[in-house]
Amino acid sequence: MTWPEIGWVIIGLAAVLLVVFNIRFKRRGRYPVRTQPMVQSYVDQRACAVERGERRWVLLGDQFWSRAYPALGLQALSVFSSLGKVDPLADEGHIVAAGTGELALFARQIAQGSYQGGVSSRLVVALPGPTPFSFLAGAMAELGLHPLGSMGLFGNFGQTGALLAEAAEMKGGHLLAAAGSVDAQAALFLVTRDLMIGEEVFMLPGLIDPTPSNQAGWVSEDILRIALMVLLVIAAGLKLAGVI
Amino acid sequence: MKKVLPILIAVVTGLTSLAGYFFQARLAPIPGMLINWGIALVGLAGLLGVGYLVRMHVIRIARGQKGGFNSVILIAAFFFTIIAAIMLTPQDPLFRNWVLNIQIPVETSLLAILTVTLLYASLRVIRTRGWTLMSISFMASALVSLVLNLRYLQPEPGTLGAAWVEFIRRLPLVGLRGILIGVALGGLIVGLRVLLAMDRPYEDEQ
Repeated sequence: MTWPEIGWVIIGLAAVLLVVFNIRFKRRGRYPVRTQPMVQSYVDQRACAVERGERRWVLLGDQFWSRAYPALGLQALSVFSSLGKVDPLADEGHIVAAGTGELALFARQIAQGSYQGGVSSRLVVALPGPTPFSFLAGAMAELGLHPLGSMGLFGNFGQTGALLAEAAEMKGGHLLAAAGSVDAQAALFLVTRDLMIGEEVFMLPGLIDPTPSNQAGWVSEDILRIALMVLLVIAAGLKLAGVI
Repeated sequence: MKKVLPILIAVVTGLTSLAGYFFQARLAPIPGMLINWGIALVGLAGLLGVGYLVRMHVIRIARGQKGGFNSVILIAAFFFTIIAAIMLTPQDPLFRNWVLNIQIPVETSLLAILTVTLLYASLRVIRTRGWTLMSISFMASALVSLVLNLRYLQPEPGTLGAAWVEFIRRLPLVGLRGILIGVALGGLIVGLRVLLAMDRPYEDEQ
């Protein structure tokens, strides 16, 4: 079996699992996923920030797509879409910052479609800067202007995500960090307590809004992960025995 | 139709690109063409993004909001750079030197701030995260990695000591691969959910 064929098998299996479980969870049932109190705390803090008149920042990453982490832009948009289902409204205090034009465009589309309580014409979809460093500099400057209630760090960041997290902590804002790259996760581990690591990052949209499709994603991911673990152990055993 | 068309375009484009990756010999020109179209669209989105950036700062200046002075500097620098690039062209050595001699020191300064921040944060990691197994093992493995990477410990090649040092040096890679497998599976599922139209970030009504 060649590598492309193995790739097809994994992708095909994932697609079948997604469709099957999506249909199943639409009809009945629920997948009891690992609980993450930090996510509920983040959602609650966002609501508190509305009451206190503080800013709620959602950072969607400084890249939409990268070769190492191709899906992180979509993951960030998916989190933003889920927030739209639980947030009361998208008003002036809600700032969505994206590091590229396409992320900003998609974010605006999602805001218009997701927010049940309506979208204010003064909702800020900001592009603090079009490159990772200009994004960092722009976002840091903006963060200092108003009281910060909460900040969510999603999508594709490098180690620079730690500076934004540190700035949010210094402003007294509640922070949830779910940046997908390993660099960002290692740097964020040092500065924040509420950090999601590895595959947890991809569970976040469903933890905020557990739709059938999100739950289908969780269970498919779990099945694939267990299958991969079993295969890796078998392959390591066979290699140790000198069979392969 | 307004709902179906974007889904259809997204699904067909995604599946064709995917098929092109696996059947490169037969479908070679099609993904290339789709990627070129995608690059053009991304370029356009980039321009719109810059439009957002300029609009936000112009509104801030016009309304006299907080941070207006920074916005004036940003807008002035932005238009100065655009006009200079049009007049001199981006390949012009004077223009390149001008831009790079501002951009590189600024980026280097940000990296320096990041280094200091991370160093300081690593010193107070126990205060941030408490005495947990995770924080202690993180600090211990970071320290061991730093010491090993200093290359002061150089056991005789071929000895048990050398094998152990090599094993410990490569141990973080195991954790990294574990995290990356999780990220890859998560990415696969996110991508498939878009391809199967379960997630539709391109739609304004869900």
